[in-house]
Amino acid sequence: MVDASIVTLVVVLVVTLTLALAVRPKGASTLDFYLAGQRVGVVTNACAICGDYFSAASFLGVAAAVYASGLDGVWYATGFAAGFVPVLLFVAAPLRRFGEFSIPDFLGRRFDSATVRLTAVAVVQLVIVSYLVPQAVASGITWELLVGHGIAGLPPYATGVLMSTTVITLLVVLGGMRGTTWTQAVQFLLLLAVLVWLAAAVLGSGFNYWTAVDDLAAQPLANPSQADGRWQLANEPNRLDEGAPSYFGEPGARYGSLGQFALIITLVLGTAGLPHVMNRYFTSPTGNAARMTTVWVLGLAGLFYALAVMLGTAARSLIPEAVAGRPWLGALTVDGVLRVPENALLVLGQVYGGQPGLGLIATGALIAVMSTIAGLLLASAASWGHDVYEGHLNPRATQRQAIWAGRLAVMGVALLSGVLALGLRPESMTALLPSIVASMVTWAFALAGSALTPVLILAIWWRGTTAAGATAGMTTGAIVAVGMFSTGLITADQGLAEIFLTPTLISGPMAVLATIAVSSRTRPPAELERLWLRLHGTAADRQTERLARLTITGVSDRPKEAP
Amino acid sequence: MRWRAARRSRSIRDGVIPAGYDSLDEYDTAAEVDAAFRTLRRGALGYFAVFLVAVGGVPGLTLTLNWWSEGQLIGGMSPSFVMAAFGFYIFFWLLGLAAASLSTAVEARMLGGQETDPAEREGGA
Repeated sequence: MVDASIVTLVVVLVVTLTLALAVRPKGASTLDFYLAGQRVGVVTNACAICGDYFSAASFLGVAAAVYASGLDGVWYATGFAAGFVPVLLFVAAPLRRFGEFSIPDFLGRRFDSATVRLTAVAVVQLVIVSYLVPQAVASGITWELLVGHGIAGLPPYATGVLMSTTVITLLVVLGGMRGTTWTQAVQFLLLLAVLVWLAAAVLGSGFNYWTAVDDLAAQPLANPSQADGRWQLANEPNRLDEGAPSYFGEPGARYGSLGQFALIITLVLGTAGLPHVMNRYFTSPTGNAARMTTVWVLGLAGLFYALAVMLGTAARSLIPEAVAGRPWLGALTVDGVLRVPENALLVLGQVYGGQPGLGLIATGALIAVMSTIAGLLLASAASWGHDVYEGHLNPRATQRQAIWAGRLAVMGVALLSGVLALGLRPESMTALLPSIVASMVTWAFALAGSALTPVLILAIWWRGTTAAGATAGMTTGAIVAVGMFSTGLITADQGLAEIFLTPTLISGPMAVLATIAVSSRTRPPAELERLWLRLHGTAADRQTERLARLTITGVSDRPKEAP
Repeated sequence: MRWRAARRSRSIRDGVIPAGYDSLDEYDTAAEVDAAFRTLRRGALGYFAVFLVAVGGVPGLTLTLNWWSEGQLIGGMSPSFVMAAFGFYIFFWLLGLAAASLSTAVEARMLGGQETDPAEREGGA
């Protein structure tokens, strides 16, 4: 029966690989390889952005966080979805209108500064690696549960990490942005279909979402923890009411009063600085298309996260009853509660669909991992290949050389993230973090929201921003964010740790202050007026739309050829 | 202005570049862009303020009003859980749609109107 789940997985992998090969850019230019020729339609791009964005943290991590922490876990879903509102309001349209290849490229040209560009490259690479590692961890967890054994003498976790990283590296190296766009769009639709299937199966079995939350609130929230080498259930202390237990539908299971705001602000501000998501906006044909793409993303994200929250609740409610008569589930749980919360959806899949059901959910998880890894690797390729190699190391590089520089960067970054993921064991960190995957992704959001988003927004909306100010802002944001969550990890569960682990509430404003303070003492770029016309004018949009209309008219008016 | 745009786009839809337009070049003036930019920034900040009040208000109410996190609104769900599990997503989408529509309308109204209509140049209506 295990074969059924593996066959499902292999079929999906083969389909996506074939798709990437079929639509890969032929005779590729860098514009094709990195930006799919800037001709990606609104709905396709929205689906591809969702494929990029809905990583393992969204698919396994949100349900896991809800499963482990109840209402406090739901804030992950809220924050992930909310992040696209600032993107729509402040970034999407101007970023696309200005053009370029990547965030460092945009900032470098906006300030006409190599220092800004290289600082942005360093921050972008940090964000990418922080985001890649939890994806690889999630693929290791999934493989461990799905297959249970390794290949070539490797443990199952390591096999999962290496397999997913290798396959995606191959897809990206071959497909570039055009291939990746289509595979990501298809992958998102498959991911949504898997989630809808599981929700339908759970609801079809008689699960009542409305009353389940009330039933779960009848007893304190307890999760497995290890004491003296033995697993046992321990009540989650209430961080809002010292000495009291916490309950599923009420706040306090994970965050104190400041922690709730800190998490949401970190996720909200982080999205606009995620390089793999923002790079997708450069593939839109116009600024208006980029804006409408975000409206679609907000709708799709709402549907996706509402389902993920419901399934996390369902897992908490249904798994204790499902343990009886299922020895495999007994091995994964302590008194009916999962040891690794990330297994919540996988277990529901197996309970309601047997081995093929587990295969489907595992496929969904690996799809989420693959599409996000693909986007991250492409963003890394654009950053190294275009911003560093073409921009600095070899300005006279041919298109072929620049693309190969990007491909080599993809392989290097993939190798680094794989090695880092192999050094982590999820079980060792579940006591500290509600969901290891969601928490690690949050660090990437913290870094992006602290170092990139403030500078990006000021660069677009404040004429006074200067190159020195932008560099100071990025550096301050990155140093404060990294310093704070390193401190948070060391101080673990004591008081302010929750603020330190989601530091944007402090590091973001500090980046803004540093940018403004330094900018006030330095001069903006000389050609600010021209840059402003490009950022906020719509002439290029109108021309593109006009040409598109003329082309359509030309095609539809062409006389039909005689048979 | 809307009438001129409609005339222009009708001509283009017909596959004809209107007389008097030598090329497909479009341009914006610095003054137009500056005015549009300020209007858009004001609008975006307004929408962002509404967004922040909602996103900060829900956990804020959770911390201050017992009824918000312990009362029952739908089935056994508290208002706080309903908002976090569904309400926010509908709110984000509606806010996004409204903001996108407003920005697009502002740009259409304030930018791209500098080209003189050929008929107007010739003294026609």
